[in-house]
Amino acid sequence: MRPSMLSTARTGASLAVRARPSTSLVPFRASAAAPLSTSSHRHAAHESSSSVQPHGGSSGYSLARFGPRKEVPLPSQEGTKGLVQYALTTLDIVANWARQSSLWPMTFGLACCAVEMMHLSTPRYDQDRLGIIFRASPRQSDVMIVAGTLTNKMAPALRQVYDQMPDPRWVVSMGSCANGGGYYHYSYSVVRGCDRIVPVDVYVPGCPPTSEALMYGIFQLQRKMRNTKITRMWYRK
Amino acid sequence: MSTLTRTLGNLRKIGLKEYWHQLQYIGDTKAGVLVGVDKFGNKFYENKDELPLRTRWVDYAKHDFDAGHIEPLWHAWISYAVDTPPNQDPLMASADARPWAPKGHIPNRTFTRGAYKPYNTTKPKIEAWQPVAAPR
Repeated sequence: MRPSMLSTARTGASLAVRARPSTSLVPFRASAAAPLSTSSHRHAAHESSSSVQPHGGSSGYSLARFGPRKEVPLPSQEGTKGLVQYALTTLDIVANWARQSSLWPMTFGLACCAVEMMHLSTPRYDQDRLGIIFRASPRQSDVMIVAGTLTNKMAPALRQVYDQMPDPRWVVSMGSCANGGGYYHYSYSVVRGCDRIVPVDVYVPGCPPTSEALMYGIFQLQRKMRNTKITRMWYRK
Repeated sequence: MSTLTRTLGNLRKIGLKEYWHQLQYIGDTKAGVLVGVDKFGNKFYENKDELPLRTRWVDYAKHDFDAGHIEPLWHAWISYAVDTPPNQDPLMASADARPWAPKGHIPNRTFTRGAYKPYNTTKPKIEAWQPVAAPR
């Protein structure tokens, strides 16, 4: 019996490199634009009726292996119970406020997406009002914005820069090249998505995405930070 | 441009309760005309006396707000792509009659159960090795 490995191996690997509260378990794939299309509904319908076997072959969802399907609330959907959790909620709000209002991105500008990323810092979109200051050093940054085509040659450098960033750290994958290879998907020298190298929190679609799209992606990241249960997850452990 | 006189003047116009509400969400004190409300309950305001590109703003209906909650036609208005708001534009009244257009606006379902999850329909090219411990 073959386990469903493609997805499990990948999320397992990305979980191993991040020691963070398990809200990061919530998948954030293609956050900005994909849910605006109706495809998410179709996928959800397929998965529930299992008309499409998720990971091929015999590894689909079977009653014999897992028992009847049950819905478990996501960590983000669990309510607040008890006095301690209410106190820790306030602590979390303070910590999340500090995190989301001084976001220092490590700029990993690789291609034309970087030009749009630069436009974000110019007066029209004015990232400084959000507390976003581009840092040239990974040691002083919280977020890495991977903007552009990630080539095989650049991949070790990307991973090294990610490893040098202090926790907590987030990654925004910007543009179709960084999301999944994009135009260069079949090239011999291009990594098919930077999520093969680093765990990605927010995917911004587009080729290149506009500065507004990147800003929307940053807002999504701030929303993710707002909903992160830092001390509550520690308490639950 | 936020000066003390402007803030106090707007505070006198909108009242303390709205002042506190705006401080929580838009972080500024603004007084304007309520232009319209979209289907989700987001309120859209306008004040032509503000600085350019700050004349139109939105008061979201939900606490956990997101720019994806704005309907497309209102998005065009609030991004200064059109001059007339969709509830005053006669062309926009027929927008619902277009059969090819999606009926309702679907907000961004990220961070909910409806979030997009990619999956694979092909057979995986590699197989995991299942370790079997021989009984001793």
